[in-house]
Amino acid sequence: MIDISEDFAIGQRPKAEAPLIEFKGVSKNYSNGTHALDDINIRINKGEFVFVVGPSGAGKSTFMKLIMREEKPNTGDITVNGFKLTKMRRKQVPYFRRTMGIVFQDFRLIPNMNVFENVAFAMHVVGAGRQEIRKNVSRALNLVGLAEKARCKPSELSGGEQQRVGLARALVNKPSLIIADEPTGNVDPNMSYEIVELLTEINRRGTTVLMVTHQHQLVRDFGKRVIMIEKGRIVADSANGGSI
Amino acid sequence: MKLTSVKYLIGNGFKNIWLNKLMSLASIGVLVACMSVIGLAMALSFNVDHALSGLEQENVVLVFFDDRNSALYSESGTSPDGTYNEITEDDYSVHSFEDAILLCSEIEKLDNIASVKYVSSDDALLTTMESMSESDAKFYNVLFDSDDYGNPMPCGARVTFQNLENFDETIKSIEAVDGVDSTYSSKNIAERITLIKRAIGIIGFWIVAVLLIISLMIVSNTIRVTMYNRKLEISIMKAVGATDSFVRLPFMIEGVTIGLLSSIVTVVICYFVYKAVDGTIMNKLGIVSLIPFADFFWILFGIFAGIGCFAGLFSSAFMINKYLRKEGSEFRAL
Repeated sequence: MIDISEDFAIGQRPKAEAPLIEFKGVSKNYSNGTHALDDINIRINKGEFVFVVGPSGAGKSTFMKLIMREEKPNTGDITVNGFKLTKMRRKQVPYFRRTMGIVFQDFRLIPNMNVFENVAFAMHVVGAGRQEIRKNVSRALNLVGLAEKARCKPSELSGGEQQRVGLARALVNKPSLIIADEPTGNVDPNMSYEIVELLTEINRRGTTVLMVTHQHQLVRDFGKRVIMIEKGRIVADSANGGSI
Repeated sequence: MKLTSVKYLIGNGFKNIWLNKLMSLASIGVLVACMSVIGLAMALSFNVDHALSGLEQENVVLVFFDDRNSALYSESGTSPDGTYNEITEDDYSVHSFEDAILLCSEIEKLDNIASVKYVSSDDALLTTMESMSESDAKFYNVLFDSDDYGNPMPCGARVTFQNLENFDETIKSIEAVDGVDSTYSSKNIAERITLIKRAIGIIGFWIVAVLLIISLMIVSNTIRVTMYNRKLEISIMKAVGATDSFVRLPFMIEGVTIGLLSSIVTVVICYFVYKAVDGTIMNKLGIVSLIPFADFFWILFGIFAGIGCFAGLFSSAFMINKYLRKEGSEFRAL
């Protein structure tokens, strides 16, 4: 058992502000009978960096899917970025998603597009103009250190570089929340640190980061807030002085 | 949706066709095959319709006027012993050429009348004689070609109808006109022509309906394959906040473009097939030439473009909507 308060620095929570993510009594059961989440209550504030950990099948993916409004809960209320997800109409979902950036474990880069086009793709979707796209994509690629590889195809990049392109794509629309679903799952350990350092830098600039990971050492080394999910329940939260 | 997005998506739609060129070519090919059958069936229908219209025009109804000859050879003019009664002017209503022309114009005013042509007694006799066999004509000459009897044919008119569907009603309305003694028509032919036209209409409808369904299925399948190929792209689109219409538009453009391209190719194919049939086969068979292709080119192209666009739009919208409404797997790309 690891004491979170000693091993991880507790994320600072601005008390006066409304939470960026709030779950109130949220439960999710799938039609096949799986009880994915059970009575989840949690608050994540603006500017926090939160690791979500837990064994496979614990409910982490469902937790993230609910935040991204890919799934709807059976009971309870979820608020993200001021959007009440349980009452949200289908048509509003795209506009809600524009307030967040998603980083996937498998990078999800389009193979026939180069690095620049992959990042620009996210801006085309929101209807940005050509000038704005050029400016923001260059800025995002500079931030992740891939400006020189803008013309390369994903197949010409290493795993770590591909994930950094994924990060640049998540960042390019200047979201207030980054959701990273095991972003280090497909990269080597050294590169994992680089990715999390990059996320830390993004977080330092004011973006809230929520990252799912299995790499406990990484979590330990970066010392951020940790939420642990097991059997569909939050069993520990370092913000509340919980221990793992 | 912003103009920049629309431009981007239109470009994307065309790019998709190029990226899936084999699949696009396959669906254009099958769509062309389907529409060619529709086109040739329609060309045949146009020609049969045209030929039947000719027959309708040629299906002349003979109208006999109530003139002196008519009264003379009618039952009232013949006594029981076979001799002829004295006929006075009050016994018939058409006394002169002017009366007959007036009667023709009255008939012309009736509904469904295409043409009315006056036929004098002499012309009627000439036509009848021409249609007789040699022996019959000789027999006639013995019977009638004398001063006692003269020409027995009443004057009248050759009347054609606009369409044969209201045949009986039109005949009744002609017979009701004062001065008309009787009519002679071949109702059988009229009924057959109407029947053939109806049958062609029904067969044509089903050919178009069945091939339209096949076209829809073909385009749907292409769009489904394209969607599968672009699953990754769609999942990213959804993740970064693309609206449903943004995801849908390139597929719809792809579907419509495939439909339009197919319609152009089909019209070209139909033109050459039609020309070949008109120029060689029909001439060899000694059948009169077909209607010029130009006469129905726009109708055909309009129908093809309509079928192509409808098939493209409907099937792409249907397929993508089905996909977009799946909850919980929006980001599942692979």
